[in-house]
Amino acid sequence: MTDYSSESRKSGAAGKLVFVFLILIVCAVGYLGYTMMGGQGSGGGQIGTTPGTGSGTPDEQANAGRTTTGAQPDPRTAAEAVEINIAYGTEKKLWLNWAVGEFEKTEAGQRIKVNLHGRGSVEGAREVINGPGDIPFHVWSPASSAYRDVFETDWAVRHGSDEPIIRAENLALSPMIFVMWKERYEGYRTKYDPPNFQNIAEAMHEAGGWSAIAGKADWGLFKFGHTHPGKSNSGLMTLVLMAYDFHDKERNLSLGDITSTDFQQWLQRFERAVARPGGELSHSTGSLMKEMVLRGPSQFDVLMVYENLAIDYLKAAQGRWGELYVVYPERNLWNENPYYILDVPWSEEKHRLAAAEFLDFLMSDRIQARALEHGFRPGNPLVPINGPDSPFVRYADYGLKIDIPRVCDPPRAEVLNNLLASFQRIDR
Amino acid sequence: MTHRAYQILTIVAAALLVGLTGCAEDQQQAPVGSDNSGRSASNARQQRVDQLEIVFPYGSEKKMWVNAVTEQFNRDQRKTSGGKVIHVKAIAMGSGETVTEIMEGRLEAHLMSPASAAFIRLGNAESQAKFGNDLVDRTTELVLSPVVIAMWKPMAEAIGWGERPVGWSDILELVRNEEGWGAYGYPQWGQFKFGHTHPEYSNSGLISLFAEVYAATGKKGGLTIADVEAAETGAFLREIEQSVVHYGSSTGFFGRRLFGSGPTYLSAAVLYENMVIESYDRAKYPDLPFPVVAIYPKEGTFWSDHPVGIVNRDWVTAEHREAAQVYIDYLLEPAQQQAAVQFGFRPADLTVAVGAPIDLAHGVDPDEPKTTLEVPPVDVMHAINQLWHDNKKRANVVLVLDTSGSMKGERLAAAKRGARELVNMLSDEDQLSLLQFSNLLNWIVKEAPLEGNRPKFERSIDSLIAQGGTSLYDAIEAAHRYISENPTPDRISAVVVLTDGKDENSNLAIEQLMQRVRFDGEAGSIRVFTIGYGSGASKDILTRIADETQAKFHAGDPENIREVFKGISTFF
Repeated sequence: MTDYSSESRKSGAAGKLVFVFLILIVCAVGYLGYTMMGGQGSGGGQIGTTPGTGSGTPDEQANAGRTTTGAQPDPRTAAEAVEINIAYGTEKKLWLNWAVGEFEKTEAGQRIKVNLHGRGSVEGAREVINGPGDIPFHVWSPASSAYRDVFETDWAVRHGSDEPIIRAENLALSPMIFVMWKERYEGYRTKYDPPNFQNIAEAMHEAGGWSAIAGKADWGLFKFGHTHPGKSNSGLMTLVLMAYDFHDKERNLSLGDITSTDFQQWLQRFERAVARPGGELSHSTGSLMKEMVLRGPSQFDVLMVYENLAIDYLKAAQGRWGELYVVYPERNLWNENPYYILDVPWSEEKHRLAAAEFLDFLMSDRIQARALEHGFRPGNPLVPINGPDSPFVRYADYGLKIDIPRVCDPPRAEVLNNLLASFQRIDR
Repeated sequence: MTHRAYQILTIVAAALLVGLTGCAEDQQQAPVGSDNSGRSASNARQQRVDQLEIVFPYGSEKKMWVNAVTEQFNRDQRKTSGGKVIHVKAIAMGSGETVTEIMEGRLEAHLMSPASAAFIRLGNAESQAKFGNDLVDRTTELVLSPVVIAMWKPMAEAIGWGERPVGWSDILELVRNEEGWGAYGYPQWGQFKFGHTHPEYSNSGLISLFAEVYAATGKKGGLTIADVEAAETGAFLREIEQSVVHYGSSTGFFGRRLFGSGPTYLSAAVLYENMVIESYDRAKYPDLPFPVVAIYPKEGTFWSDHPVGIVNRDWVTAEHREAAQVYIDYLLEPAQQQAAVQFGFRPADLTVAVGAPIDLAHGVDPDEPKTTLEVPPVDVMHAINQLWHDNKKRANVVLVLDTSGSMKGERLAAAKRGARELVNMLSDEDQLSLLQFSNLLNWIVKEAPLEGNRPKFERSIDSLIAQGGTSLYDAIEAAHRYISENPTPDRISAVVVLTDGKDENSNLAIEQLMQRVRFDGEAGSIRVFTIGYGSGASKDILTRIADETQAKFHAGDPENIREVFKGISTFF
């Protein structure tokens, strides 16, 4: 007979250990399985990508967040996650929102959360200077570099340091244009051709309105619009072009040019007639363009906005009221949509690195090609604008042109500041 | 049991234990009304904890669209990032009233949407003056609808619509012509009768005034206080306002009355384009004598742009803001915007086309308006409001109060407070008569102007005593007959009757009363507003009297009676 007693005792003890271990495993597996099957109270819906809801223009509020009704896992790891806030001009909204969505599909986009906040160019600059505020901005992307000089000067006064921008790159370019309803453009040309600041000033002051211009009494008064120069770059650029136009030059706009009595009187007469349908000028170029298309010719006959906005809204306008038509002013300015990575007290190196990664993504061929579709001239010189699919070719019948012959120099900070001050005196 | 079996059983028991623990958690969150009745109360509490209500007052002209899409939103159970189910409580209200109620803290709204940006501007100005901040920071448009003059098609054609642009100057010509429609070859239509809402309560009323002032000055923008205060402006406004049959706080009510009551009630009213489209709904309005068309005034008009914005007050937390934004985003989704088109609104989403029913077949023109007017600055808006108060059509009101025995105590006390509210709301130049009734009728005051007589009216009201029976029909007939025999055609003539019971002692029967007071367009334009005070009043009869005299029935009680009288006063 084999004596199994000691062996059986040993195997019994080991077996009990194994048994206890198995119980623990089963319990752990059971709990893990229950959790993974999506038990109750696991968090509900997630709101979309842009925090700070309640800030930004009304259009940003409406479009920035994406809303879901079910729980979604967040793939980013806490250790690697970094968030950057970008103050950007609304003329880039459609393209940038799309680009952020594409970025999220990349490896970098898993680590870096990009929050877009629509701000008028001048408004955005002020928020950075007075920052950090409710939203600490790591990138400022106004419509043009024209305001950079003012921004850096004001920053130095406020903070002592004089280099708040450590890297600048032009994302996409757009000149200024007059955009009109084509029917009204045809009527306008019967008396004034081509549209320019001088004859727009006359048209706005025609007592009979459209009756005197084109025999169309039911079109009411002639209504020209632009954004608020103190809040929005396109409004400020409009004033700059008016000043260059008045003095018949493209370079060296001087303080004397702005303060001259003749120009001040002309500017006052012009600005007092600019249409303010809601009682005040719009703070956002994107919103202004949308208002023109939403309410039709009853609201505005012509706006001065960025070329890309007119291109972006051509189809919507056609569906709603009719065709738009683009006319280039005699003198122009480039709006380069610069991307400024900020070196500011609330920005750490991880933010700056993340901002640089997103910038590189925006400058890549594919993303730049999409900018072209939205009517921008890409900042990446390798992306052509005269291919058959380019909107500049497809929509040539709407007045779009590739060449911009007379481009003015951006004026100095003191000239811009005085131009703004002149406007504010008139706008009281 | 073998050792092996013991092991297996223990493993199974452990797994069951884990599973049961999970199921118990599920059970705690089962819906209310589950079989676990003992847990229903805790379920309900859990649900309330998991739900976030946001209060949304909005202009009632978009009621049908808002009701439909909000019902769907609440069914969808969309959630905040914290997991709470968002529930929207949408309340249709006059635009002016919304601003007042929020400013005075009586309505803790989280977002609001008046009919136009004008009320946002007014609200923000008031809030800045009182609290140093805006009432609503940023807004976005939900839907758009231009303000139009809605007119019966043959009448519109008679003044040139369809052949040439028409507008306020044509309305003024009609008003000035003593022959009325007879001058246009239609004597059977009588005088031109017009309507718009009260500008302090309703957006379309406010817009009407702006448009009248612009037409008076010939301007389309840059309106100044000097323009408003010019003598010609006041004269123009006064002439047009003389053709108004009554005011009121609801554009929707005006529209429904216009379409439901026919050309003898009104020739035209200032409404929104979407309401003209609504008139073509054969289910709602099966018997329209003529189609209604929208006149887009040649002088220019305004867009009603239905802005929505989050309210800037302490009771609106970050969670409320998030929930409100979820709801706003939902309203702007293409599906909801497409639904708005079906209700006659032009969508704010440019990817959604403007199609049927926004077309000529429904009396409107999608290519209009051709031109708009500028919203005046706030100080000019206030000047225009004052101009209207100085030049509006005056009222001649007979207040008929039930002082039967059943009105004793707090009932009569509250009714007196309500009646004093009416005295307070009427203008100095309005006239008021006071008739009390029980089983007997007693004239207390006849046709006295409010100016200089308010204390007397208040004393008379305060001195009323409750006793006796109820001769309701005789009292209404007496009040009506008094106005008929002492006509004031340049005033809005109305009887306002409050009763808490049914008629018991009248000599007249109901059909005899109806014969005598029924509205007949020209000779009998005396409106009888009825207030059924408490549950004892006969709602059906009072409603019938109001409807057949082109007025409105109100259900009142001691708690709301002041608001009821205030609501009635908006008609004058």
